[in-house]
Amino acid sequence: MSSVSSYALRRTGQALLVLAAAFTASFLLLQALPADAILIKFMDPEMGLSPTQIAEIHASYGADQPILQQYLHTLGNFLTGQFGYSIQAGVPVSDSLAANLPPTLKLASLSFLAAALLAVLLAFLSNLAGFAWLRALIQSVPALFISIPTFWLGIMLIQLFSFQLKLVPVISPGPWERLILPVATLAVPISAPLAQILMRNIDEVLTQPFIAVARAKGASHLYILWHHVARNAVLPTLTIAGVLFGELLAGAVVTEAVFGLGGLGNLTYQAVSTQDTAVLQAIVVISAAAFVAINLIVDLLYPVLDPRLGRGLGASA
Amino acid sequence: MKGFQGFAAGRGVVFAAAGALTLAAVFPAGAQDKPVQGGTLVYLEQQAHTTLYPPAGGFYPNGGVLNQITDKLTYQNPQTLEIEPWIAKSWTINPDATEYIFELREGVTFSDGTPLDAAAVAKNYDIFGLGNRELKYPVSEVINNYSRSEVLGPLTVKFTFSKPSPGFLQGTSVIGSGLVSLKTLELAFDQLGDATKIIGSGPFVVASEVLGRELVLAARKDYKWGPAKLAHQGRALLDGIKYVVTPEDSVRIGALVAGQGHVIRQIQAYDEKQVKGDGFQIYAPSTRGINNSIVFRPDNPLVADLRVRKALLHATNSKEIVETLFSENYPRATSIIAATAAGYIDLSDKLGFDRGKAEALLDEAGWKLGSRGLRQKDGRDLILTAFESLPQPQNKETLQLVAQQWQQIGVKLNVLAGDAGTRVIDNLDPQKTPVSPGMVGRADPDVIKSQFYPTNRNVLLQKGGTSTKVKEFVDPKLNDLLDAISAEPDAKRRLALTGEVQLYVLDQAYVIPIFEEPQAFAAAPNIKGIAFEAVGRPSFYATWIAKK
Repeated sequence: MSSVSSYALRRTGQALLVLAAAFTASFLLLQALPADAILIKFMDPEMGLSPTQIAEIHASYGADQPILQQYLHTLGNFLTGQFGYSIQAGVPVSDSLAANLPPTLKLASLSFLAAALLAVLLAFLSNLAGFAWLRALIQSVPALFISIPTFWLGIMLIQLFSFQLKLVPVISPGPWERLILPVATLAVPISAPLAQILMRNIDEVLTQPFIAVARAKGASHLYILWHHVARNAVLPTLTIAGVLFGELLAGAVVTEAVFGLGGLGNLTYQAVSTQDTAVLQAIVVISAAAFVAINLIVDLLYPVLDPRLGRGLGASA
Repeated sequence: MKGFQGFAAGRGVVFAAAGALTLAAVFPAGAQDKPVQGGTLVYLEQQAHTTLYPPAGGFYPNGGVLNQITDKLTYQNPQTLEIEPWIAKSWTINPDATEYIFELREGVTFSDGTPLDAAAVAKNYDIFGLGNRELKYPVSEVINNYSRSEVLGPLTVKFTFSKPSPGFLQGTSVIGSGLVSLKTLELAFDQLGDATKIIGSGPFVVASEVLGRELVLAARKDYKWGPAKLAHQGRALLDGIKYVVTPEDSVRIGALVAGQGHVIRQIQAYDEKQVKGDGFQIYAPSTRGINNSIVFRPDNPLVADLRVRKALLHATNSKEIVETLFSENYPRATSIIAATAAGYIDLSDKLGFDRGKAEALLDEAGWKLGSRGLRQKDGRDLILTAFESLPQPQNKETLQLVAQQWQQIGVKLNVLAGDAGTRVIDNLDPQKTPVSPGMVGRADPDVIKSQFYPTNRNVLLQKGGTSTKVKEFVDPKLNDLLDAISAEPDAKRRLALTGEVQLYVLDQAYVIPIFEEPQAFAAAPNIKGIAFEAVGRPSFYATWIAKK
């Protein structure tokens, strides 16, 4: 039993180490930028400040202190849950995150779900289509989907469904209404690679001997597809689904801008363009923490799911 | 498809005819012009507001909010540009404009219930005029030579200046001088992006905010201190205003036309026709300051020669720019400041497009046309660089068209986008960016000093300003003229100086003025009584929504 807990302890320690490394690396990289948010904001001629005034403000933020001191200061703040202020927006970073994180999570997860459904639909249809030309047509849909610019699709959907048909408002929609068009916009490009892989996997599984057996037993094509092929083909698709989540966040930047939604994508984009260090640092650390947490949970679940792992560890200890 | 279009058009005609008939039958003429109270105005904004510290109100989205929630000491009549009473009932200024005494109106309160009295005004101006290092407040751009305040009585406040400050009275009327409660001024500069913390005495109060996305204002029912000479008095007619950040141009316009919004800020010139065709109103109030221009940085040897700058000035065809990219709402510039600005003089004879003259000037300066169609001198190509300016309308397209025009005489202009960080830093280096777009709005001659003076915006990049990259360029004659404008108590003499500086800047070809920049809005036909303050920020105090 103690071997399992020491394993858990070690994995947790590793996770914390990764997190500390992410924090340090992002801190150093952000320091290496040619300017900082304070300078960008206050050196902007629109503020009409003199060099002395700028230097004073710079000093009042502690930005003229040695890097090590700034590092320890920032680290101390992060450990106590203080992310500082967004210089550009003039609000605490935690407020910004609280306003932007939930909508992005909602948009991304719903879009992913919709993309997965769309991909399954396309794959099944392409396999069930009666004519060769129809199959070819459906199989070329993913290529079309991936080449549609998200930006253009978003505007087209708004023009058609909101402005022409007046089905969903874009301005002040309800909480769920707000998501319909953005989810559709984001789901289309994400569904493309999923559908493609699913289609290929279905074709591969169909050549397996056990399918021939099922066919020989007199099962219909639809039955085989649903009962034998689906489960086998979906597993490899799920593996790449994780990778696509990153793409989902990238697509969210455009979608959030077109639909005027708040979100992490938009926040990141603005923070990058104004080098709003405090915001960027918080985003990096939170993303790293999420990634580390997911991996840690999976790792800690291994011994639970696969008892052989726990025994192996015990033997070596 | 054809059938559908035909049907839609036919239906439109029938509806219009029926509408005209019912209106004529039911309402006597003029009845629909009677203001009604109530309703929420939906205002579609292009960008989210940033810090709402009043002196930061120059940023268009910030001004659009601050103008509804704060009041100013004085009101500048946007038609006459005269300064009229508002929170100050009256004022006296000593002859050399170093002492200002204001008598305040009685019974004015901030929305947190605290009084807007002499103490509050003094505190506001001490921070605007001197800044506050501890709370990180920068000094307001519109206040020159501020020294201190004194509370002479509960409603009497006196300001003293170290040098004459004739622009101060106008400075008390601008967006950047909105008065806020003492509680707001206790917060640090970097906390003022939260609109709910900005407590003013204006006709509207911030009711709620979704950061970066939505802002809701509610009318203050007990408001009774609007500018004394305005036709509308008492509370605002609207019950509220809802700001929705809608960054994408086509979505803003589509939403307006589809009836999902009432007013949109920033309509591009190329969209005006369509929107007007649908019966919508376009507003393009002038920002009345320094025109949308191209500015040189003479510290860079490529543009240090007056003949080169003159050549580029005459190679720039502003008529073509306005006609190609803009509309009649963007008048061609005839000086460095707008024709509606105080002290303007017409200098159009110095601004003509003349390619022959431009070529002759470059030849004279020793820049000969080389093999690749580029001008060369001492083995160097005449290649210049500029960063586009995001807040200015179609600035990238403007610069690209200028680049095409300059190419005709063998000069290359690179137009860069770049992220905000690179832009701000490289724009301060005359070696990297010898050319820059520039403009700034304010309805007082002090605006010229703001734009050119080394310790202000310093667009020419003279030595002594923010930039540490400037080697030697400084123009003492220009700076003396600018100093004189900001410290000349005699109004007539001050306007004469303003004319002198316009002439000087163009004689030196420091600037190529292109057009007078408006802030462009579009509104639904049933939105009445939209007003704009002197530099084009909207005011919804007397706005009302007519029944369709």
